[in-house]
Amino acid sequence: MSPLAVAMGRGAWARLGAGIRHHKMAAFGAGIVALMVLSALLAPWLAPHDPLEQDVLLRLAPPSAEFPLGNDSFGRDILARILWGGRVSLYVSTLSVLIAIFVGGALGILAGYIGGLFDRVLMAAMDVLLSFPTLVMGLLVVAMLGPTVGNLILAITLTAVAPFARIARAPTLTVKERDFVEAGRALGFSHLRIMVVHILPNVMDDILVMAALWLATAIRTEASLSFIGLGVRPPTASWGGMIREGFENILDAPWLAIFPSIAILVVMFGLNMLGDGLRDTSDPRLRHE
Amino acid sequence: MSKASQLPLAVDGLTTAFRVEGRWYDAIRDVSFSVARNETLALVGESGCGKSITALSIMGLVPKANGRITAGRVLLDGRDLVPLDETEMETIRGNAISMIFQEPMTSLNPVLSIGFQVAEALRYHTPLTGEAARARALALLEHVKIPSAARRFDDYPHQFSGGMRQRVMIAIALACSPQIILADEPTTALDVTIQAQVLALLAELKSETGMAMIFITHNLGVVASIADRVAVMYAGDLIEIAPVEELFEHPMHPYTEALLSSIPRVDRDAGDLKPIAGQVPPITAMPSGCRYADRCPLRVPRCATMPPLVGLAVDPNHQVRCWVRAADESVGA
Amino acid sequence: MKTPLLDVRNLSKTFVARRGFMGGQSAVVHAVSDVSFSVATGEAFGLVGESGCGKSTTGRAILRLVEPNSGTVLLKGEDVLGANPRRLRALRRQMQIVFQDPYSSLNPRRTIGQTLTEPMAVHGLGTAREILEAVRTVLAEVGMPIDAANKYPHEFSGGQRQRIGIARALVLQPELIVADEPVSALDVSIQAQILVLLRSLQQRHNLSFVLISHDLGVVRHFCSTVSVMYLGRIVERGPVPAIFDEPLHPYTRALRNASPVPDPKAKVIMAKLEGEVASALSPPSGCHFHPRCPHVMEICRGVYPGWVQVAPDRGVACHLYPAGVGSTVSAAAAPGR
Repeated sequence: MSPLAVAMGRGAWARLGAGIRHHKMAAFGAGIVALMVLSALLAPWLAPHDPLEQDVLLRLAPPSAEFPLGNDSFGRDILARILWGGRVSLYVSTLSVLIAIFVGGALGILAGYIGGLFDRVLMAAMDVLLSFPTLVMGLLVVAMLGPTVGNLILAITLTAVAPFARIARAPTLTVKERDFVEAGRALGFSHLRIMVVHILPNVMDDILVMAALWLATAIRTEASLSFIGLGVRPPTASWGGMIREGFENILDAPWLAIFPSIAILVVMFGLNMLGDGLRDTSDPRLRHE
Repeated sequence: MSKASQLPLAVDGLTTAFRVEGRWYDAIRDVSFSVARNETLALVGESGCGKSITALSIMGLVPKANGRITAGRVLLDGRDLVPLDETEMETIRGNAISMIFQEPMTSLNPVLSIGFQVAEALRYHTPLTGEAARARALALLEHVKIPSAARRFDDYPHQFSGGMRQRVMIAIALACSPQIILADEPTTALDVTIQAQVLALLAELKSETGMAMIFITHNLGVVASIADRVAVMYAGDLIEIAPVEELFEHPMHPYTEALLSSIPRVDRDAGDLKPIAGQVPPITAMPSGCRYADRCPLRVPRCATMPPLVGLAVDPNHQVRCWVRAADESVGA
Repeated sequence: MKTPLLDVRNLSKTFVARRGFMGGQSAVVHAVSDVSFSVATGEAFGLVGESGCGKSTTGRAILRLVEPNSGTVLLKGEDVLGANPRRLRALRRQMQIVFQDPYSSLNPRRTIGQTLTEPMAVHGLGTAREILEAVRTVLAEVGMPIDAANKYPHEFSGGQRQRIGIARALVLQPELIVADEPVSALDVSIQAQILVLLRSLQQRHNLSFVLISHDLGVVRHFCSTVSVMYLGRIVERGPVPAIFDEPLHPYTRALRNASPVPDPKAKVIMAKLEGEVASALSPPSGCHFHPRCPHVMEICRGVYPGWVQVAPDRGVACHLYPAGVGSTVSAAAAPGR
């Protein structure tokens, strides 16, 4: 069995699917998210125009037949920029959350399993990280290391690690007390095996819920940092950057700010619904313990 | 046989249903028995047999979201409790009927002192308040033999051992001198030597006050120690009821018989245990006839319909719900 | 004398319960003190006592699921406590454990098949096909249908889960099984099924058992020898019928008397034993049982009774039976403190 299948406990995807089917809210959220992901991935084919192509004549043009969402201050197609901006948001948020799950999850399970001083020190470190609001962390990292996309991801990851560590640690503490873990020891399983094969799958449910909610936070953070100019640099399209531009022209061409804002709103809404729905379904009803 | 109105408790044809995945299923059906003053009736059966549900139905504590009493009467001193609403039941619970539960740690509020919780029952149901309630509560705690009760009056449940907490529960249950106590597995979670103490205490208190007791358990050894009469339940049916010695010496229902042969005993050399093959059917797949039929060596075609509970010719006080056994011994009317 | 399969000597385990935040007060719990016994091949050995007596900790210490503080555990003459990780892993194949709670003993995220194949795969015991065949065999042995392998634990009842737990303990073909209250969480009629199953497995594979239980009836039915524990120590040991029919130690007698028997004519001799089991945090001085003992003497308050072999197969730690009164102190027996 592939390690990933093992790690996902083979049932986790099934439960995810079942949860989404059962719960209207989660299904709705999943639908929105799926839509966003698809449109971002297919941006090169869906975008009617080049997002970087400027046209002075179309500066701040309102929505028209050819440009359904209007044009920005450089005459670029807002629709195309929103689609392409989605790719950036997707890329940054997914990557940072994935790394945070991996690192945070591992730390959390280790802390919970090993316990004692190791646990206390690690959790204290996590508490320090937790005390930084995501935006402040972003500012710090970017200010110190420079405003690249890589650093943006680093900043978001740093703030996301601690919550995932905590969320992995809590069920680890309960699961490690269960008899089947002791049975594993008695059967000669190594600690590593027990953590990966036995504890991790029992922790995945909580992590998945958190992941959906944190994706929303990550998107918002990226947008916020881009908004204040510390995120993705122009001319690359990004929702935050577009809002920033739109802000400057809010009275003349409100659509510049409105459409990217709606995009962020819808995606975060969808992710939150998905996360909430997952949380509801992953609790005892589907958990046959 | 005494008239129903003179009995502290008479249950008549009680049927309670539960909703599982949208459909209603009978958890207990047609349960009838009575308990006299100063009598201990043991309600015996394995998990899922309905003994706890019977107790909850009597107390009116069936969770309303998914459960309801669909038939029968519960006569407390002649008065039917089933039609009563919640307000009326609240005046009765803790007062005329009390219940003791299995897990004293979750039945006692961990953030209130034990003295407070005993006095609470008094304050709620009697005119006693303040100092008077406190004094009476203290007297109750001493009565159940809590050592240094006065000093420990304000202690919290977690500061007591399991056996002591159970004594506190008993004190609360007795506070208002109920006519009948329902004890739902009160000693199952206790060590054997502590269990013996608590059982002795219950017996003593019962004979002092003359109250009736329904003792729910799955442990036939405990039943033999404390019961006057025994009612055996299986899969929601009351299948046998008899005075305690009669039940152990001449078990009539095949299930009772089989159960008694499958218990390892400390006073006898290891013989062969005869386990009962098969399992209790799930509530969603209960046969409409005799529910034990699948596992019963005496099964006949007639068992597809539910047998009535009838008394035996040799002893009308010994009733059994079985076509085969009742036919052998039936009263005939 | 044949080497016993399992030889436990002077086993001790203390836990430190730390109160306060950093260090602060710490209280020492002597969970197991100076426990010694041996189990022959094919023998069922019982460990009885009430909660807190240390029987579960002893069982786990034998398997090194809990590391004892001192003592020796020899499995077929080999040192278990001193074994290095590699050797321990090999030793673990020979001794397994069955747990009390069928709802906690199986990983809910793994199918039965995965749970049963994993131990063999980890120890490299055969090809995939051979392992599957072994799983088929063991499932049949415990009375479970083969299609159970594709199902998850929640699809089974408590009794069935217990069978699966037993199957897991059997897959590596151990010689010793520590069964920690294997039937306590089960219904009465299922208890009998599992006990009968364990007995047939014992006979078929010549298995040795250390059966831990608070239920004297279960121990009487299953075991040939029994040790009675109180507050971390063995207070009496001997053949099962003798210990229960004619107990020597007052605690054994009280335990036996308090155990309810399904016979109304033999009403429990109630509450002759007053008082609570003393706390393991601060056990009474001298004999731990002295505050509750109906036969307490002056010496009991100050001096812990030494172990006395009153017969070749029977021993007791009680001042009522001092050494030298028609008995011998066996060299192999546990020394008192």
